[in-house]
Amino acid sequence: MKPIGSLKRIMAGLAAWMEERLGIEAARDFLRHKTVPQNRHTIWSYTGSLLLLFFSIQVVTGIILAFYYRPTLEEANKSIARIMTEVPLGWVIRSVHFWSATFMIAIVFVHLLSIWIIKSYRKPRELTWMSGVFLLVFTLAFGFTGYLLPWDDLSLAATKVGTDIPRSIPVVGAWMTKFLRGGEDVSGDTLTRFFSFHVSILPLLVLALIAFHVYLIQKLGMSLPVGADEKEEAKRAIPFWPNFVFREMIVWLILFGVLVTIAVFWPPSLGKSADLMAPAPEGIKPEWYFLFLFQTLKIFPAKILFISGDTVAVSLILLGGILFFFLPLLDNRPAGRKGKVITWIAFAFILYAVAMSVWSLLG
Amino acid sequence: MKFKESLFSRRQFLNGLLGGWLGAFLASILYPVLRAIFPPEKEPDQVILVSSDYAGIPANTVKMFAWGSKPGLLKKTEKDELVAFVGVCTHLDCNVIYLPDQKKFFCACHDGWYDENGTNISGPPPRPLRRLSVTVEGDNIIIKKEGAT
Ligand code: FES
Repeated sequence: MKPIGSLKRIMAGLAAWMEERLGIEAARDFLRHKTVPQNRHTIWSYTGSLLLLFFSIQVVTGIILAFYYRPTLEEANKSIARIMTEVPLGWVIRSVHFWSATFMIAIVFVHLLSIWIIKSYRKPRELTWMSGVFLLVFTLAFGFTGYLLPWDDLSLAATKVGTDIPRSIPVVGAWMTKFLRGGEDVSGDTLTRFFSFHVSILPLLVLALIAFHVYLIQKLGMSLPVGADEKEEAKRAIPFWPNFVFREMIVWLILFGVLVTIAVFWPPSLGKSADLMAPAPEGIKPEWYFLFLFQTLKIFPAKILFISGDTVAVSLILLGGILFFFLPLLDNRPAGRKGKVITWIAFAFILYAVAMSVWSLLG
Repeated sequence: MKFKESLFSRRQFLNGLLGGWLGAFLASILYPVLRAIFPPEKEPDQVILVSSDYAGIPANTVKMFAWGSKPGLLKKTEKDELVAFVGVCTHLDCNVIYLPDQKKFFCACHDGWYDENGTNISGPPPRPLRRLSVTVEGDNIIIKKEGAT
């Protein structure tokens, strides 16, 4: 009896045993037949899978950081300093976590805007869009809560400002600020609360939503460009496995390489531990993805008629968010119709966000 | 030299190349992750104690100091010499206590006993207590790992 032959037989037996119980074959059969359309919009479908990549990187690096991080006033900053200086390759892990978050947020924006512009949110994909908007909000919440955790001057100031903004929302505002801060002021309780949001509440929510989102994408299939010929498209489609997956892997590898390179050469800094009693540092700015909102708040005058400018600004931003969320219901034309106005609004929004961010950086 | 037949097919060669590359790539990702899982060794190289706090203890008694995150036991022998142990049982890591009247170290976890020199004498401990080297320099007592200079 040849040893290789018997090993093969054992493996085959084991595989059959598993198959009998798990029924993986159905899934594999499904994968063999799944196809992905190939057209001028295909490039945008890579952004979604890239988000999965960056999210996974966040999970792995985040778990390792949580091994060492201590969410208390005395130790938060110190424990990150320890990660950066003592833990073997800890600085790489933190740097990758930081940069991967940045990449992820950037790609979330590209992902949503591209879907807005090519109008893939139309019937029957309304819920995919809406769950996507929630994922955007949660991703930003990840960024906001994570920014506080190093507990240095800048992160404390950013959190004070950021958690104060909901206060100007009518009726529920004051309560929301209190909820976010765990009290009237930013304190050690805010830090533990943000840690809890960042490492348990948000991940659970996001995982559930990703599952829902991906399920819908799978169930409804990729959208076709406006006015596309369905038969032509079906002919051009490529198999998901291995053709599409391999292409995706090329994109993953390239971006992973870029990510690690940037992370190694530009690790994030760490200011000295924040002092709750100290005056705020000068020229504080939020992270780049909040700049346009920050600047929007800034340009409103202190009082408009008899209401405070902040309340008007925050209400407008909220209204914008709600319209954005309900986009598929506002533009409920059939998928085949063009939508010039919608496209123009998207570009106007991009222009606005970029202009505001640049203004904020310069001003 | 030229072979009449190739040892492996072109497909095998390419698969090996690609697979090997993929393996190396994954290993390079895994390496920093695995490294960062373990914190650096916490054991100190040396601990410096102030003589006035420790040297005056009576003979046949023990005073504790912190050896990293473990208890260190500084003992004055009956000959008035200073010796030091890591106060951790060699069985399953419980902290031991010195009982001066019996002149023994005792581990309560599984009834382990060591004599006054730290040699295991009864119960489960497999090895003597770990010794540390003690030197007195001026006002300081310097405690190092045994064998380190
Ligand atoms: S741990 Fe000390 S006797 Fe078992």
